[in-house]
Amino acid sequence: MGLDRRGFITFLVGGAAGTLFTPVPWKLLDDVSIWSQNWPWIPKLKYGAKGVTPTTCKLCPAGCGLDINTVGKRPVTAEGNFSHPLSQGGICPLGAAAVQLLYSPARVKGPLKNNGGKFESISWDEAKKILAEKLSTQKGSGNVALISGDENGTANEVLAAFLAALGSSDYYFMPSDATAYATAWNKIMGGQGQIGFDLENSDYVLMLGADLLSSWGTVVRNQKAFGQKKGQYIYVGPVQTGSASVADKWVPVLPGKESVFALGLAYYILKAGKTCSAKGFAEFKEYVLTNYTPSKVQALTGVPANDIKKIAAELIAARRPVVVSGSDFGQGSGSLDMVAGIFLNLLLGRLNQPGGLVALPSVQAVDKAPDLNQLRQNSLINFISDVQKGAKRPDVLFIYEANPLYALPQGAQVASVLDKIPFKVSFSTFLDETAAKADLVLPTPHFLERLDDAYTPFGAGAVTYSVSTPVIKPVFDAKPTPDFILELAGALGVDLGISSFEDVLSAKAEKLGADWEELQGGQAYVGDKKVFQSALALPTQILSGGLKMPSSEYPIYLAPVARPYIGNTKLATPPFGVVTIRENELKGKDFYVHLNKATAKKLGLKQDKKVKLVSAAGQCKALVNITETVMNDVVAAPLGFGHTAWDDFSKGKGDNVFNVLTVTQEKPTGLYVWNNSQVKVVKA
Amino acid sequence: MQVKEFKVKWGMVVDLDKCTGCGACMVACQAENNIAPVTEGSNKLRTLTWMLVYELSNGKDFPEHDIAYLPRPCMQCGKPSCSTVCPVVATTKDEEGGIVSQIYPRCIGCRYCMAACPYHARYFNWFDPVWPEGMDKTLNISTSVRPRGVVEKCTFCHHRFAAAKEKARMEGRDPMHLEEEDYIPACVEVCPTGAIVFGDLNNPEHKVAKLAKSRYAFRLLERLGTDPQVYYMSKREWVRRQGDNYLENEKTKGE
Ligand code: SF4
Ligand code: SF4
Ligand code: SF4
Repeated sequence: MGLDRRGFITFLVGGAAGTLFTPVPWKLLDDVSIWSQNWPWIPKLKYGAKGVTPTTCKLCPAGCGLDINTVGKRPVTAEGNFSHPLSQGGICPLGAAAVQLLYSPARVKGPLKNNGGKFESISWDEAKKILAEKLSTQKGSGNVALISGDENGTANEVLAAFLAALGSSDYYFMPSDATAYATAWNKIMGGQGQIGFDLENSDYVLMLGADLLSSWGTVVRNQKAFGQKKGQYIYVGPVQTGSASVADKWVPVLPGKESVFALGLAYYILKAGKTCSAKGFAEFKEYVLTNYTPSKVQALTGVPANDIKKIAAELIAARRPVVVSGSDFGQGSGSLDMVAGIFLNLLLGRLNQPGGLVALPSVQAVDKAPDLNQLRQNSLINFISDVQKGAKRPDVLFIYEANPLYALPQGAQVASVLDKIPFKVSFSTFLDETAAKADLVLPTPHFLERLDDAYTPFGAGAVTYSVSTPVIKPVFDAKPTPDFILELAGALGVDLGISSFEDVLSAKAEKLGADWEELQGGQAYVGDKKVFQSALALPTQILSGGLKMPSSEYPIYLAPVARPYIGNTKLATPPFGVVTIRENELKGKDFYVHLNKATAKKLGLKQDKKVKLVSAAGQCKALVNITETVMNDVVAAPLGFGHTAWDDFSKGKGDNVFNVLTVTQEKPTGLYVWNNSQVKVVKA
Repeated sequence: MQVKEFKVKWGMVVDLDKCTGCGACMVACQAENNIAPVTEGSNKLRTLTWMLVYELSNGKDFPEHDIAYLPRPCMQCGKPSCSTVCPVVATTKDEEGGIVSQIYPRCIGCRYCMAACPYHARYFNWFDPVWPEGMDKTLNISTSVRPRGVVEKCTFCHHRFAAAKEKARMEGRDPMHLEEEDYIPACVEVCPTGAIVFGDLNNPEHKVAKLAKSRYAFRLLERLGTDPQVYYMSKREWVRRQGDNYLENEKTKGE
C-alpha cells in the first residue's frame, strides 16, 4: 500500500508547478495519439449481457455473501451482497480479487499424479482407481488421516463420514481460534454450542489480541459493526494493527500475554464483587486474587496497573460490554487465553445477552458423520508430533483446501513429518506448497465454480447459513471434492447414506428451517437460537500457565501479523492483491520485520539492515523497518510471505514466519501453543 | 483561471477514524477499472493505482505513537492543476457533476499533468497492460483498456455515473437529481467499515453535504486553492494537521 509519512509529506509539498505551462496547438498530436494507441495486442473487451449472481465466498472462513457481476455469464467483478448479514455490501481485499483468481496461473488444471517429482496429468477415473486400490487395503485399519482447511463447510461432514466409514477418527482442522475455542469452551469448560460475539449490540468491545477489524473471525461483518458503532472499541495487543489504528484506545501488551492482562482485569472486577455461577468459581477467584495481583500483572504484561484498573472500571460501567479474546494472528492460542476471556464475559453477566458472548447451536445433515465440533477439538499439532514419534503411522493423508506445509508452526518439522507419510492427496484449487509435494493433486473447483456452503462462521453473533452457488462452469478440469469422495465411496462399496452433496445441503437447510431455493438465490438464513448452558466449569489448574517467566535465550517476542491482502493460511497473495503491499512490507525479494527505535537501538539495528529471526524452531531472513507501531522488545512480522510454490505474484517474496513460530505445551492441558514465540534478532 | 460552477458536484467524505487500511478499495478499483495486475507491487513509483492507501504516523515514539490510513483517489479538484497544463485538452473539468475527465485517445503521454497534480493521483502507462492467460475474460466491459503511453487516474467510476443517469432517464427521473444509491463508485461500495461516503456535495439531502461541513472535515493541501471534491475527516488533531502544511504554532482547522 501507500508510502510512509516521508512519502506523504513529499506529496504535500509537490506543488502546483505545472500550472505555468500554456496549451500548445494540439490537433495534430491528437491524431497521432489516436493512431498510436490502436495496438492489436491490447486485450479487447468481450461484450455480453450483464447480470449479477449472489454467492458465498469461501476464500477464508468469514463466509461473506458476495454479488458477482457477470458479462455474458462470465464473472467479472466481485462486490459485497448488501442483504447478506456477514458482508452487508462490504468485502475484504481477497474477496475483491476472487473473480480474477479463477484464472490464476497457480490453478491446478486437472488431476495430477506425482511421478518421482514430476507431475503428469491423469483422468479422474484413473485417480479414483488409484485411490480405491490404496484404500481398499486400508479399509478398517484406520490408517488414513485428513486435514481440512475448510472451517465451516458441510463438505467436512461428507469427508468425515467417509473417514469414519474407513475406520479412522484422524480428522483434523487446520488450527485457528475456532479450534482453540472449541477446545477451551466445549472440552475444558464443558460449554455447549459454538462461541460467537454479538458486536452489533455491544457498547464496549474489548479486543484481547483478536485483531477483529483486520483479520479475525467474521472480519467484514466485524468491520461493518465497527463502522456503525455506538460505543467504544479497545484493542489490546503488541502491535498497532488495523484494529488498533481505529480503536478508541490501544493497550500494548506482549504477545501471548493478553490472557494475563485479562486476569488482571478480572482481579479488579472480582474485587468489585462480581461473581458467576460456574462450577469451581470460588477456587478460581481465589487463585486470581492471590496470583494475578496488579503488580504481578504489570510486570508480566508491561501495562501499568492503573491502566488495567481503568479499563476494568469501564467494563463494569458499560451497559453491554463484550470481551473477545483470541490470538493476534488468529491461531496458536492455548486454552488459558480463551478461558480468561470467557471468564470476563461471565463475570460481567454477558453470556447469551444482547451485545455479549453467545453460544450458538450447530446443525448437521450427514447422519454418519461425527460431530464436527468434536472434531475441531482434535489437535493437528498433536497428530504431527505423534507421527514424528512414530505413535501414528497413516498410510494415506488427505488434505482438503489446506496448506499445512506452509501455514503450520515449526515448518521444518511439518515437512519432515509429511515426508514420512507414504501417500498424500491434495484437494486444492491452487498448486500450493502442500499440493506440490503431494502424490495426487485432485483439483477442487474455485468457489465460484462449485456448490458449497458456510454454516455460522466462527465469531458470528447469530446462526447464519448461506450457500455458494456455481457462477461459472469449472474453467479447468476440476471436480468438487465431496462429489469425488462419494464416487470413491461407491467404488469402495462404502455406504455413507448420501445420494449427492446437493441433497446434503438441502437437508441441512430443511433441518434449519431455511428455504433451499432462497439459499441458492443468495439469501442467507439467520436464526436467533442460543444454547443454554447448564454445566459450565472453571478450570483453576490452567491458571498457573500465565505466570510462566519468559525465555532468556530468545529475548525478543515475536508478534506475527495477519493481513488478508498479503494472503491467508490457504491463499497466497492473489494477482490483484499485489499492489496493496506497502513499501515498508516488501522490498524486492526481501520482506520487512518491524521493531521500534528503542528495541532497534538495544539490538544495534538500523533501518533496512538485513537480519535473521532465529527461534528454537527455525529461522527466517528479513530487512529491518523501524516503526513505533510496535511495542518494546517485540518484533512484528507479517505472515503470508515466503511462498515457494504458487506463481510469480507471490513466489519468492520474503520469507515464511510460520517456520519461526515455536510450539510449547500448555500445562496441564497438554495443548500446543505458539502465540508467544520468542526469537533472537541477529544481523545477517 | 476560469472556474466552472456546477449544479451537481460529486464528492467523497472519507472518515479516517474508520479506515483500517484493509486495501479492499484498492483491489475493487483495479478490477472495476481494468488495471492489469503486476508481479512487483511494493515499489510505488512503478505501480498504477488510481486508489492508493497511505499510512500516516503522528511521528511520536512508542507508546505515544498513533497511526492512521488515508485512501487517496483523484480529488476531482475544483481548480484542477492537471487539466490547465494539458496541451491537448485530454483532461478537462467541464461536465456537470464536476468529475475531471481523462480522454485516453487524446492523451499524448507528455505527463505535464502528472507533474502538476499535487496529489500524485495520476499514473503513466509505461508498458502495455498484460493479464495472465484467460484473466482478460474478467475485464469489465464498462471501462476501456488503456495502452502504453497514456496517463490515467481515478474517474470516480465515471461509467457508473453515466449508467446511473441513463437509468434515471429510462425511469423518467431527472438525471441531474440522482439519489445517493443511484451512483456509488466501486471503492465506496466495498469498503467494509463504511469509511468512504459518496454523494452530491451540493444536494442537502445527501450525507456528504453535511459531513463536508463538519468541524472535523478538511481537504488535502486546502490552501493550495485546488478546491478538491474529496474531503477527509478525523477527530484526531494530528491527522487533520497532516492534511495541510501547517506552521508549527498555527491552530489546526477544527480545533
Ligand atoms: S473476509 Fe473472507 S469470506 Fe469475506 S470476502 Fe474476504 S476472503 Fe471472502
Ligand atoms: S487530484 Fe490531481 S489529477 Fe485529480 S483533479 Fe486534482 S490535480 Fe487533477
Ligand atoms: S476499503 Fe475502506 S477501510 Fe479498507 S482501506 Fe479502503 S477506505 Fe480503508
